[in-house]
Parts: sequence; structure tokens; C-alpha cells
Amino acid sequence: MSSQDSQDIETATTAIESAPDTKTRRYDRQLRLWAATGQSALESSRVLLVSGSATSTSILKNLVLPGIGHFTILDHAKVSHSDAGNNFFLEGYNSIGKSRAEEAVQLLSELNDGVEGRADTRTLESILESHPEWITSFTIVISHNLDHALLNKLSALLWKDAKYPPLVVVRSAGFLADFYIQFHEHTIIESHSETSPSLRIDKPFQALREHALSLEFDNMDSTEHGHIPYVVILVRALEDWKKSHNGGLPKSYEERQQFKKSVLALKVKGDEENFDEAEAQAYRCWTETKVPSEILALFSDPALSTKAMDNNQSPFFHLLAALKEYTEQSDTHTLPLTSTLPDMKSDTNNYIHLQRLYKTRAEEEKQAFKSYLRVPVDDGMVDSFVKNAHALVVLRGKPWGTFDEDKAALVESLSTMPKETCIHLALSALSLLQASDTSVSPSAESIRAKIQSIVGQSTELPDEADDAIGEIARAPFSELPNTAAFLGGMVAQEVIKMITKQYVPVKGYCVIDLIETWTGTIGA
Amino acid sequence: MATEIHVNGAATSSDWQDRYYHVDQILDRPGPRTDPSFLAGDEVKDFLRNKCKILVIGAGGLGCEILANLALTGFKDIHLIDMDTIDISNLNRQFLFRPADVGRPKAIVAAEYVMKRVPGVKVTPYYGKIQDKDDDYYMQFNLVICGLDSVEARRWINATLVNLVDSENPESLKPLIDGGTEGFKGQARVILPTVSSCYECSLDMLNKPTTFPICTIANTPRLPEHCIEWASVLEWPRVRGDEKLDTDDPEHIGWLYSIAVARAKEFKIEGVTWSLTQGVVKNVIPAIASTNAIIAASCCNEAFKIATSSAAYLNNYFMLIGTEGVYSYTFEHEKRDHCPVCGGEALEMSISRDWTVEQLIELLTERQTIQIKKPSLATPEKPIYFQQPPQLEESTRPNLEKKVSELVPDGGEVVVTASSLPFSLSLIITYT
Repeated sequence: MSSQDSQDIETATTAIESAPDTKTRRYDRQLRLWAATGQSALESSRVLLVSGSATSTSILKNLVLPGIGHFTILDHAKVSHSDAGNNFFLEGYNSIGKSRAEEAVQLLSELNDGVEGRADTRTLESILESHPEWITSFTIVISHNLDHALLNKLSALLWKDAKYPPLVVVRSAGFLADFYIQFHEHTIIESHSETSPSLRIDKPFQALREHALSLEFDNMDSTEHGHIPYVVILVRALEDWKKSHNGGLPKSYEERQQFKKSVLALKVKGDEENFDEAEAQAYRCWTETKVPSEILALFSDPALSTKAMDNNQSPFFHLLAALKEYTEQSDTHTLPLTSTLPDMKSDTNNYIHLQRLYKTRAEEEKQAFKSYLRVPVDDGMVDSFVKNAHALVVLRGKPWGTFDEDKAALVESLSTMPKETCIHLALSALSLLQASDTSVSPSAESIRAKIQSIVGQSTELPDEADDAIGEIARAPFSELPNTAAFLGGMVAQEVIKMITKQYVPVKGYCVIDLIETWTGTIGA
Repeated sequence: MATEIHVNGAATSSDWQDRYYHVDQILDRPGPRTDPSFLAGDEVKDFLRNKCKILVIGAGGLGCEILANLALTGFKDIHLIDMDTIDISNLNRQFLFRPADVGRPKAIVAAEYVMKRVPGVKVTPYYGKIQDKDDDYYMQFNLVICGLDSVEARRWINATLVNLVDSENPESLKPLIDGGTEGFKGQARVILPTVSSCYECSLDMLNKPTTFPICTIANTPRLPEHCIEWASVLEWPRVRGDEKLDTDDPEHIGWLYSIAVARAKEFKIEGVTWSLTQGVVKNVIPAIASTNAIIAASCCNEAFKIATSSAAYLNNYFMLIGTEGVYSYTFEHEKRDHCPVCGGEALEMSISRDWTVEQLIELLTERQTIQIKKPSLATPEKPIYFQQPPQLEESTRPNLEKKVSELVPDGGEVVVTASSLPFSLSLIITYT
């Protein structure tokens, strides 16, 4: 080992951290989910809520607590008698008559003094008219039960430019609700996928192969023998197999059974668990390591066209382009090697040695990958990208309202997911009916008629429509505290995923039924 | 205080006109999925706001949310139990607490806050354990909602409520709504004691906790976690003897951290950090406000529907995973016939004729569907092995080495009890 290496290990293993500061301690439980990078993204974010309803303040609570940078509540309304009864961020009777936005901002700000909150009592209408660019200055915009016409204007404005913030549209009535995130494109490096990258046992890198071949299994002392890591056992066993099978891998069921037997035959003592592990993991020898299909699909993404790339693409696509070239040019045509080994039965020396082999090779492949980058990209981002190359995600969304205009899509959705689609349509119908007349409580008949006009007169509504229509007719203007709280959590969670760019946000309409208590996603 | 106070139906004087405008849209008329027994109007409102008594167990991540939601829904008589005090790491989600409250009992602070914010609601806090209260205490409630963080506590309250049920007295059936969260995952369930699947019925659904073999810890560490376990499990007792390890004490964590770092250096293992040390030693579960909000809201929503019959309630398990889009699964968990708590039947257990009592006890501790930590065994006639009291333990200790077949005939009954759980499990032993 070079002195540079030992210095690195020294630093890595002995650098003592001082006790965490107050902020780290406060945020400890969430830092374990999105780490400092996610937290930093949250703390730089500026969130706009259009309306100070109970649902809106509930969403905000779940964003203020984890520490967003700033929020503004845009609401010109005064607190009504009914507002004061269903919103925790108003002070009961004492708030009645005061500005809803100002009361809520004051009480929400108490939750976290690291967060800046502002009340804006202008109307959305006036802002859309006079200076809409103010809205586009936020990181993300959220609306709740927004008037149909205003919602159309707002969503059209935010769709105009891919750089404008995403819009989260939330709707609810009684026990029913849905929400939708309108965004152009959302790229994710840290998706936190459950699948782990390949150890490439079927295509071992040179140093690993040499190490496996160098071991004298027969001359080892028995303790050492019982602590050879399974990765090494398999690489060795596979090499031996290839020698006697013309370089071929175990293909048929019989061959694979034979291979497994040959691994177990290497055992010297019955209780050598490392060989049992090797047998259990033997599939890694004949499962070809290749670029996962989802990532392969990304290599054909239109964002990688020369035209798009010339137009100043984001670092993500430059990294993706480099990844594509790297896999095409590499010997194994696989993603860069992972440096993370799972735990396995082994003694410390063997395990650490194996780990170092992987780390060294992974570093070499990462450097090779970097050589294909055409623009400078931050080292931290490169590291993260390579580490997560097997689980990258690119989502592309549609403008708000497209689904309801697509009769073919609605018909399909009604047949595959009738419950969800009927609830979504009932909420759309309610919104349209209110646009024409806010004073009248819509009847079941009028709701049904409106749904029918959305899907087209020739489409028969399924039986599930009866329940959705009945529920809306029962409580069209009811903002139940528990529905508001439920949505508060659901929407805040998606917003956090959008802001941190970690984990995968929902694509399509997330529909909620709090009578049978289920959720479902349609119109993706 | 404003000059006008309008009274809303059968509401108390702290109410005002339209206070319950939103909730009343539901309570004033049935919907398509409402049971015919629903009594819309004043009667159900009177029950909800003037008569219903509800118990909330836990005033932490779920408890704070549950308390606020119930108060806004209109429940006016809420009792709250929690045995913990407030810690700084609670503040990212337990929103009824402020930095100045750190160190104070959760139940008391939560009660104060909600009573101040929501007029007319009475929250009676108890700073202590659920086991401190007796059957009479639990009998006074109409509903129980749990936001607990321990399997043991859940099993206890579940068994207690199941045991309360007296077929002659319909009031003795207390619906139990249980919620739990972990990172982006959560679940809410409705338990009707003796009628539906109970908490014990689903014990085998729990994930087995991560354990590291002692030989790895002692001799062949490979991961930073192994170094940390070494510090807490082996080195602490060796160096700090009888001193009890307090995982909430930053000095203790600091000590473990530096010991783990030294061990990692010795074995050239990377990755020991303060955060990992704390995580391993305290078995820290990541937690955020949003998941807690969702699950608490579901629980309170069920409480509202059950208390008022205003709409069909969850039957009976809702599971949510929020890491990739929104994934949820709602299903009916089935009652287990041999459930030690709510099932009537004895569990047949076949063991080797050579097995000792000690081996049988080990099996009872480990089997996923049973998981009793310190079981005491007896036949209907005499004791086999009792963990307590000390004199009885001493006198029955010799039986541990005896073969079960010496003490229990083939097909004979063994009754298993444990001090941590208010139930007994009947086994029918057969020999192979």
C-alpha cells in the first residue's frame, strides 16, 4: 500500500467528529433519510401556497418542521366562523375577521424559527394580471381547491417555461381528494432504489480474477479456508468451470446444479458457512451483468440529441451522455463498478482486502467515465451519479388538465381503474359546477351530468360513479380536518421529494378515498 | 373575547356559529356508504361533542398529530398517556413542542398546547406507563387510538382490550385504532377486539430486528456497525462495569463513538461516524412529519367514522410506502385461530421427546408467531418453571434441565404466561 493510501485510511478511520450541533440534533431523524445534501436543498427552497385553507396550512406545517427556507401564503380572505373551527393554525374564535394569511403565517412560524414566512393578502387574479413573474420566482407552487378559471391561468403560466416551478394542484371535498404535480422534467440521481448494483462476478475485473486464482485453497489453514469471501470463491469456481467447458458459463439447469455442487465440494469442513453463501449466491455467475433496461432506455432519451446537448443541457444529461459513451466503450459494456460490498462471511483481512480491490477498480472506472464528460461537473455530483448509475430516473410530466381533455385516456382509465377515475372526475365536475355558480350546492344529478359531459355522452359511466357522485353531493364544500391533515402529509412528502430530488415523486393524479381508506394513481 | 357568541345546535358555550360547518356536512346527512344505523343530526353531534370519551396512547410523532386532529374533529373529552419527556430530536415532527419544552413530559405539554389552541376541548394527560392503569380505567373509554413506538406496549394494550370484552356487555368492546411509521413507510389498522384480527394475530408480519453474531463482533469485524456493537456490547461492560448505558446521554454516545473509531482503525474499517454510532446503539428509526401526519390523520378519520357511524370504516389494514410514487395497500387481515390473545384454541406443538424445558422456552422466545421474552410454564396441576417470584424461580429452576416428557404427558396441556403480557397461551404438547 502506498503512503497515500495508508494516509487515506488513517484519515477515514480516525478523524474524530465532534458532537453534533443543535441543528443536526434537531434534524437527526430526517437527515437519516435525505442527508445534508437534501437538507441543504430544502433550506434553499421558497414555497408558495395559494390559499390559507386548513389543507394548505397542514401542508405547510409538514414543510416548515423539516426546515424549508421560505414560504408565502397568498390569501386575500378574512377568517370566517367556519375557518376558525377546522384550521389548527388559527386561534379559534379570536381569529375571526382577521387576515387568514397573517394569522396562519404567525402560528406556522412558531414551529421553526429557521424558516421565513410571509403573508401576502393580494388576490391571485391581480398578480396574474400585473406581474406574474413574481409567481415564477418560487421553487414550487401549491394550490388547494382553486377556482377553475384561475387554476387554468396559473397552470398555463407555469407550464410556459421548463425552468418555471412545478405546480401542485390539490382538490378535496369531504372524504375524497386528489392531487397532481405539474412539471416538465424531473431528473433523479438519488432515487434510493432497493435494488443493488451488480458485483460483476460473471465478468470479474482483472485484479479480482488474479486474486481469486492466486489463492491455494488446498494449502490454506482451516480457519482461513472457512473465511474466504463468497465473491472470491465464486470467481475462482467460475474460472475453473470455464477451463473445462470451453470458456462457457453454466447454462442449462443440469449444468447450474453441477456448478453449485462443485462449489460445495470445495468445503473442507461441514460448517463452512462461506461456501454455503457461495452456493446461495451462485446465480450471480450466470446472470449476465449488463446495463439495466431502464437505464438503457434513458440512453435513447431525446435530451441526449446533439441539438439538445448544444442548447446548454443540465449536468444530469451531460453525465448521462458520458455514461452512455462509457458503457459503449468499456470492455464489459456495463455500468461503472460499484465500490460497495454487501456483508458476507469472512475474516476482517480477507474482507477488507476484497473491499479495497473493488474500491480501487471502481475508482479507475470512475476516472475513465469522467474522461467522457464534455463539461465540468462538480465532483460530489459525479460521485453520486456513478454510485447511483443503476437507479437513475427521469420523469416527464404533462400540463394540468390534459388528462380531462383526453377522452380516449379517460375511457381507458374508467375501465382499468374505475374507482379512482370516478373520484377524479367527480372532483373535476365539482370544480366546473362551482365555476358557473358558487352559491348553489350541486345535486347528484348535476354532478353526474357534468361528469358525462367531460367523458363524452357516448361513454357509459361504471357503477363506481354512484358512490363518488353521492359523496360529493353529500359534502361538496366540506374540508374535514382529517382529510386536510392526510393531504397535508401526502402533498408535503411529494414536495420534499421534488425539492431534494431524492426518492421518486408521484407521476399522475394521486386519488384518495378516506371511506374505504385507499390511494391510487391514474393519468400518469 | 368578541361580543357575540352564537350557539351551534347542542354545542357547549365555547362553541360559535358554524364552528363545525365542515364536519356537520357529514353529520347532517348520510352518504352512499353509510350504515343505515347512522343517526344524522343533533343526536350524533351530541354524542361526539358531549359524551364520547377517547383515549390517545403516545404523545410523540403520531400522538401530537392525533391530538390536534381529534380536537378539531370535535372530540371534547380526550385522555392522553405518555411516559417520555421531550428531546431535541423530537422537534422536527412533534409540533406541539418547542425548544424551551425540552425535558418536560410530553403528555403534559401536548395537553396544555391543544387546550390553549382549540377552545372547549378537555385533554387529561397522564405522565406514566399504560401498565400503571387498570381495567376500570380502560373501561371508561369509547375508543382507543395508539401512536406507540414499541411492539411490547402494543401487545399489552391489545391483550388488555381483548380481555375486557364481556359478551354480556356490548359497551365493553373498545375499538382499538393502531398506527405506526418508519421513514417513508406507515400503517394504520382498526382492531375490534374479539371480532376482527387483533395485534397479536399479525405478530409474524413484523420484521426481525438486525442482529450481529457475537463471533463477528468479537473476532472478525468487517463493517463499521460491528465496531460499534463491540464498543457497546463488549467493551462498555468491561471498562465501565455496572454503570448502566444511557443511550440518551451524549457523553455515553461520545465514549462509544471514540472506542468504535479506535477499533475501526485497528481493523482498517471505514465508516464509523457519530450518526451511525447513535443509530446502531439506539436503534434509531428515521422519522419525518409528513408520514406521521398521514398515518395519524387516517387513524383519527377512522375514529371519527366509528364514533359517529357517519361512513363505513377501514376494514381493516392500510399500509403506505412513499419512497417511489405513492404506493398503498388496503386489505382485511384475517383473525388467527390459534392467536394466544383473541383465538380460543390451544396451539398444538410437536417436539422431540428428548427436549429439555430450557429448549422449549428458547423455542417460545424465538418463534415468529409467539415471541414471548420470559415465559413461565405450568401444567394445569403444577408449575414447570416460573420466572418470578424469586423463591418460586429458585425452586423450579432444576426443572429447566429436565426433559419436557418427564413432566408433561403426550397430548398434555402446558399454560404459558409472561409478566409483560396479560394473556396466557395454551399449548398441547405431542412428542416425536
